[in-house]
Amino acid sequence: MFLLEGIKKYAATDRTALVNGEKSMSYAELDAESEAFAAWLLETFPGDKTPVVIYGHKEMALLPCAYGALKAGRAYVPIDITVPADRVSQIVEEVRPTAAVDFCGAGIEAERTLSADELAEVFRKYRGVEVPRSAWASGSDYAYILFTSGSTGKPKGVTIMISNVENFDREFSPWLESGGHVMLSQASYSFDLSVLPVWLGMAHGFTLHTFEKSVGEDFAELFSRLGKSGISVWVSTPSFAEMCCSSDRFDEKLLPSLDRFIFCGEVLTHRLVDELFRRFPRAKVINTYGPTESTVLVSAVEVTAEMAADERSIPVGEPLPEVTFRIADEDGHELPEGEEGELLIISKSVSAGYFKRPDLTEKSFFMDEKLGKRGYHTGDSACRMGNMYYYRGRIDNQIKLNGYRIEIEDVEKNLALVSNVARAAVLPVYDGETIRSLTAFVILEKPDGLANLERAVKIKRELRELIPAYMVPRRITAVESFPLTANDKIDKKKLRELL
Amino acid sequence: MKEKIMAILEDVCGADEGELSPDTQLFEDGILDSFGVISLFVEIETQLGIKLEPTELDRDQLATPALIIAEVEKRA
Repeated sequence: MFLLEGIKKYAATDRTALVNGEKSMSYAELDAESEAFAAWLLETFPGDKTPVVIYGHKEMALLPCAYGALKAGRAYVPIDITVPADRVSQIVEEVRPTAAVDFCGAGIEAERTLSADELAEVFRKYRGVEVPRSAWASGSDYAYILFTSGSTGKPKGVTIMISNVENFDREFSPWLESGGHVMLSQASYSFDLSVLPVWLGMAHGFTLHTFEKSVGEDFAELFSRLGKSGISVWVSTPSFAEMCCSSDRFDEKLLPSLDRFIFCGEVLTHRLVDELFRRFPRAKVINTYGPTESTVLVSAVEVTAEMAADERSIPVGEPLPEVTFRIADEDGHELPEGEEGELLIISKSVSAGYFKRPDLTEKSFFMDEKLGKRGYHTGDSACRMGNMYYYRGRIDNQIKLNGYRIEIEDVEKNLALVSNVARAAVLPVYDGETIRSLTAFVILEKPDGLANLERAVKIKRELRELIPAYMVPRRITAVESFPLTANDKIDKKKLRELL
Repeated sequence: MKEKIMAILEDVCGADEGELSPDTQLFEDGILDSFGVISLFVEIETQLGIKLEPTELDRDQLATPALIIAEVEKRA
């Protein structure tokens, strides 16, 4: 398997695999620790292939666990600490793990749950043990499962097979060539953008620079680290780069080795492209596109000066060579160039479906008999002009906020679970083509006599126990009733006028 | 100036007029988050023409409306 072979290859050198501030880890250590964890898994649970749940954030020992799971023929399920306890339980109940690693003492239920200390003990005890390559995950084995916001109010797990990521590597690794070998790995491991550094970066010997969420919010510390990093390939959401641009110090003097930006996960705006061209005149800006269900990204383009000057939005690129894009109308008929419709992806990178949810899988995935590959209904509206594809928005209520994928109904359903909230309606707040925040309108069960902010603080506090903080609306306003459409649905257009 | 900054803050935080006091702890209850801080900086620059440099200001320096007003006034 390309990733594990890649790690072995660089383990024979003195190259650094991962840096987080003062902490660093070599490829040799990464290889040895993942072998140890794999050996423990194989000895404790012989023949077991249940995915390993890993609850944590940016701990140095987290990736050795993920790679160790793969070496023992298992998938890993990363759950970030931003996910509150209730939601973690929902995921754990679905996966029913035999083995789990819990870096934060959250009480993950499994036959064996290792704490950080117990994990360190496993690394020591099994040091030098090497598991046979025949035990490694391969082909149609699951590689990882990422849980994402679901419109039912509960998270759903996207399963990605080894063959999916192998295809992603074959198709996209040419875009990483001759760009140096130091990569920014900003995203949390439960977000599929991280698969680019964690799989392709590591397979090709990059040194990954990562940092905790708290560092990302502390500009002085973040910029001091960036300045020392020597990053040559920047992988992040556009939101993160945009946040960095709020400082005048974010330019090529700060990152003199930077060769290219690779963006994925949300709309890349003209404003950001213009800023980056000005601040980093020698760096390439690469825009990419792809849902988690098709393994990180399936199209890419280097943004040119012409595209930046064009009044159309920045294109999401051409499909990678193996990938087929199809623009279809509501009845599934293919639409000609220039017409807008739902984007369907047909590729070897398309997931096998949602974990233990054949109903949801059936709805969104299909088999393209002609091409002999799986396809996915993205729910994204797009159109083709020439070879280039342009994103036009969603056909449902899924949104991207600061790079996070959120189902609006997921927020609404959880808001309605908060005490004294009878009903909730959530709206994205736009600034041009970018969503800046969420705003919620709620109908209370009974008057509470509170001022708006006081009530919002109270509701938000409860809501943060149910959904990750990034999903919590910035503003919450109580109203007497919702405006309704002719067929008695909440009229969000009218509601928007209250903003 | 003070009133203008308070109005910007109320707008960014989704507070009713007069609901924020100079000593309201903005980060403690998630009234303001890191993306909110960036919106605040952008609004202050657009409306007042005063640029706040995020690498020079940490959360302790922005913890309450009074502290934020002081930082803006320093740069006016």
